[in-house]
Amino acid sequence: MNKENFEPKIIGFFCKWCTSAAADLAGTSRKKYPPNVVPIRFFCSSRIDPQHILHAFEHGADGVLIGGCHFGDCHYQDGNYKTARRVALLHNLLNDLGIDKRRLRLEWISAAEGEKFTKVIQEFTDEIKKLGPIRGNGA
Amino acid sequence: MKNIGVFICHCGINIAKTVDVEALTEEIKKYPGVAHAENYKYMCSDPGQNIITEAIKKHKLDAIVVSACSPTLHENTFRNTTARGGLNRYVCEMANIREHCSWVHDEKDIATKKAAKIIKSIIEKVKYDEPLDPILVNVTKRSLVVGGGIAGIQAALDIANAGVETILVEKSPSIGGHMIQLSETFPTLDCSQCIMTPKMVEVAQHDKITLLTYSEVEEIAGSVGNFHVKIRQKSPYIDWEKCNGCGECDQVCPVTTNDEFECNLSDRKAIYRPFPQAVPNRYTISKKGHPPCRIACPAGVNAQGYIALIRAGKYKEALALEREANPFASVCGRVCNHPCESDCVRGEVDQPVAIASLKRFAVENGSYEFEQKKPTGEKIAVIGSGPGGLSCAYFLAKQNYQVTVYEAEKIVGGMLVLGIPEFRLPRDSIKQDIDFIKSFGVQIKTGVKVGEHVSLSELQKEYRAVFLATGAYEEMKLNVEGENLEGVLHCIDFLKKVNLSEKVSLGKNVVVIGGGNAAVDAARVAKREGSNVTILYRRSRREMPANSWEVDEAIEEGIKIEFLVAPTKAIGKDKIEKVECIRMELGEPDSSGRRRPIPVKGSEFTVPVDNMILAISQRPKTDWLSSEFERTKWGTLVVDADTLETTVKGVYAGGDLVSGPATIIEAVAAGQKAAETIDAKIRGIKLERKEYATGRPDPEELKSIQKRQRAQMPTLDVSKRKGYDEVELGFDKESAAKEADRCLNCAICCECQQCEEVCEPDAIAHDMNDKILEYDVGALVVATGFDIYEPERLKEYGYGTIPDVVTSLQFERLLSASGPTAGDVKRPSDGTVPKRVVFIQCAGSRDKENHLEYCSKICCMYTAKHALLYKHRVHEGEPIIFYIDVRTAGKGYEEFYNRVTDEGTTYIRGKVSKVYQDNGKIVVMGADTLSGKQVEVEADMVVLAMGIVPTRGSEEFVRRLKIQCDANEWLTEAHPKLRPVESNTAGIFLAGAAQGPKDIPEVVSQASGAASKAIAILTQKEITFEPTIAGVNEDLCSGCSICVGVCPYNARELDKEEMVVKVTESLCQGCGSCSSACPSGAAQQRNLIDIQIEKMVTSALEEK
Repeated sequence: MNKENFEPKIIGFFCKWCTSAAADLAGTSRKKYPPNVVPIRFFCSSRIDPQHILHAFEHGADGVLIGGCHFGDCHYQDGNYKTARRVALLHNLLNDLGIDKRRLRLEWISAAEGEKFTKVIQEFTDEIKKLGPIRGNGA
Repeated sequence: MKNIGVFICHCGINIAKTVDVEALTEEIKKYPGVAHAENYKYMCSDPGQNIITEAIKKHKLDAIVVSACSPTLHENTFRNTTARGGLNRYVCEMANIREHCSWVHDEKDIATKKAAKIIKSIIEKVKYDEPLDPILVNVTKRSLVVGGGIAGIQAALDIANAGVETILVEKSPSIGGHMIQLSETFPTLDCSQCIMTPKMVEVAQHDKITLLTYSEVEEIAGSVGNFHVKIRQKSPYIDWEKCNGCGECDQVCPVTTNDEFECNLSDRKAIYRPFPQAVPNRYTISKKGHPPCRIACPAGVNAQGYIALIRAGKYKEALALEREANPFASVCGRVCNHPCESDCVRGEVDQPVAIASLKRFAVENGSYEFEQKKPTGEKIAVIGSGPGGLSCAYFLAKQNYQVTVYEAEKIVGGMLVLGIPEFRLPRDSIKQDIDFIKSFGVQIKTGVKVGEHVSLSELQKEYRAVFLATGAYEEMKLNVEGENLEGVLHCIDFLKKVNLSEKVSLGKNVVVIGGGNAAVDAARVAKREGSNVTILYRRSRREMPANSWEVDEAIEEGIKIEFLVAPTKAIGKDKIEKVECIRMELGEPDSSGRRRPIPVKGSEFTVPVDNMILAISQRPKTDWLSSEFERTKWGTLVVDADTLETTVKGVYAGGDLVSGPATIIEAVAAGQKAAETIDAKIRGIKLERKEYATGRPDPEELKSIQKRQRAQMPTLDVSKRKGYDEVELGFDKESAAKEADRCLNCAICCECQQCEEVCEPDAIAHDMNDKILEYDVGALVVATGFDIYEPERLKEYGYGTIPDVVTSLQFERLLSASGPTAGDVKRPSDGTVPKRVVFIQCAGSRDKENHLEYCSKICCMYTAKHALLYKHRVHEGEPIIFYIDVRTAGKGYEEFYNRVTDEGTTYIRGKVSKVYQDNGKIVVMGADTLSGKQVEVEADMVVLAMGIVPTRGSEEFVRRLKIQCDANEWLTEAHPKLRPVESNTAGIFLAGAAQGPKDIPEVVSQASGAASKAIAILTQKEITFEPTIAGVNEDLCSGCSICVGVCPYNARELDKEEMVVKVTESLCQGCGSCSSACPSGAAQQRNLIDIQIEKMVTSALEEK
């Protein structure tokens, strides 16, 4: 596949209270960003099992973006801390699996940060484009 | 397989403009599981909703996907629609193709493609959605309001007036908070106390309010509708059921401490009511356990107590208190080794309080006539009339036991009279204590030697219990050559002869061997008998066990002490002529912790002597006791450490007989202990010895204490110390009062019992314990309030070093008619009226670099009020305010500010850089930013308009509540605009300044808002919870309990019998962190199970 026309497939796991609400705000503010991220909404980012992430990579996701609340803002007290720890561990594991750890990104985006949401989607899509498809030329 | 209906909304053109809804509908129709798909202009409209309900019937749909806007907006709408169509509301899901798609993309084919992916992933989710029922929970119709300031008072009254039972918890003894400390309130200048006290009284009298002051919430569990709280009601040490607030106790209490209510501008008593209008109108005792001196005393003598009484001039009461725990007040006032003084906290500041000498002072000045009592109870025998035996007799006789003391010698007092020379302990002073003991009806038989004149077994038969306190009189040997030569004397034997006025004849040169008190006593006696005396001690002064002050006095009297010298041989024909000695050096510490002396080879030398007195040590003589009595290897008796009972039942032992040679106060303690156990045994009760916390001033408090010289004990001039006249002469009243005033009142309340004497309702309860109260409540209002920022942190403004730099709250008290100056503005330093007062605004606030970043909001207005009230009190006074900005947003505030400036207050715009003292004047240095000049203003007084912070210590409580705080520890509201009185935990509401700086009107309205939110919950019978919580598949659960640790709400618990985890549904909030932590897949969040997530992912990734 030509790297230039490569349109990555990205899964976005977003918590309901912060990042998904930020996505709502980005929409309400009519921000524009690339269409590559398909959002899946959770109550809390701590519901995301590393297996779900691996499942996404296994089924062809070129990138996985996790969005939660900032530390101290978690609606469920400390779910985001659990997420942070799980993602840190998974990052180590990804290298062993031959997946560039840049393909998994964790971002804290609050409900007020529609602008940041837009920026993160843009940046992450660009980065994955640079990395190329997960299958084929350059995992 | 489910029949799924998909309904795609155009949202006018909001979706349809960038998403090809027709093409999308056609594509979705073909997706597996979709039984029906259609689109409509406005799905949320009535016709749109009808499309859904009709389609459910027509196409026999089992599940619904509405592709429209964000579920935040319309999930509830479409779930209701689904329910109206006859399906369970939880089989309806929304696909957000507006905010997440049509609004953020421009190209139609791209947006349409993404919308299809979003919808398909939601179709996958809904395939596995199960019908769920909302969780219904009963509501406990009771509320808890935490904090008794104006916010808590208002919230509690509002809730109670709605007919709901309310518990108001306040940590201090009275409600009222900071508002009751204020003089008048801006901008209307209402008297704070006048408008607040009626509300406080209403709280106390409201039949729906349970008021718990001096209480704190300790634990909280549960969730909205059903919280369970544990409240610690601190002990006020006064039975509030009985206390009538009369205040008699306050008059007699001899202990003063800082008055927190008056911001430390004045003192209050240890027994106190925070302010006259306190609600409840009850007294409280400030008590921090027992003081270190009392804890250090083996007999637990209440030193802080009698010192306080001496300070108050109540010498008789002081003596009575001394004798409560120790009948030998007169003896111990002179010769106690006073471990109390070693632990005296005053010693950390300068020198310990002269506790023992004060004790003697009370004996000499507070002696009183005692009536002769005749006990009638059981008979007890005590053997030995030393301090141990007589103490035991005293404590038992006080309990009405008939005690007979058997003494082998002809005189009473044991080692007190036989071992201690008169110049240290006059015989009259011993008699004073013995007479006191005898007054309780203690019989003493002298000259009766048990084992000779009467057998122990006879006594055992005659008496219910026997206490052995025969001391340690057998002298140890030095084990050197020539020890038996004439002229070698044994110390106790020697002292005994002198004390019994038997003849002793000493030669010119005397050496005393040993370093204990007996050695020093023997040396001083020998000196008085006219000899040249040298003490030889094998270690250094540091290791010397004798009391250091005794050693000092001995040296003063001309006694030489040779350290690091030990005798090796006594040389002489029949009579001693010389002592051969060897020099020692100190090695490693031995079992006693002192460094072991090691002989220096070849350093032997001889000293010509006429007498050598051996004061090595003594051991008890126990040959008159049968072998049934177990002994230790040191020849002392074995007793039970708790009861002091020997290995023979009914026979107890204490004092030197058990401990080996020890102190008087230790013997008293043993006598006391034995008396307690004997009494408990006879009465058949279990003896409980209460442990007390050690009370002492806070380290900060210690730092601020001024050093003061310890009173010197007047002594007999050295030239007059020839005979046996007492050397220490005792304090006079003046020096005793001064010395007593050095006491730091470590435990605050000294338990002197004066309040008990005057309390008519008999309400004082010094041994009262904290109570734990438990309640179920449906909702909470948190109104924990604020504190002022620590002024000590503003070093540049001189608070704490310049006495007339005060905080705004202190100035409120100076303005208040009920304050320490009765409303006259006076300087704390000299009580004069300040002619010019400088107010510094933003003290601690709006200073991101050094202090608080935020604006404390109320300071501009209260400073304006301060200036005005000062001007009202002091007409010729000159108020000057330094400010950064004057913020007067509020009804009537700007008008008030205008009035203040009109009435003659100068405002200088600029920040103060420094406040210092120069020639008795305070100088305020700052910038006038309007004129661009540096200004220096002389002032008589400076008031710091302190910023405010959340109440110190409340963060611990907030952590227990599991609600959020911001970076400054202010409580976080659920939404800054739309939900300002709710926390983000359902059922917990916020009121007052705990949420952020605010003035009184704002606080009151927010409190009413919080109350109405609480009432909305509390007046419902039951409330519903979302059922999308996490359950447990018990077939898969291994009981590993990982999920239990992960759950932030304690909703999961291991059932140890079934070894599976059980869930309390009402506690689970549905975060799902357990589901991702569960290794076996047993924990699954309802309608968001693993397979749903995986299918959603897979479908979103499918290429078409």
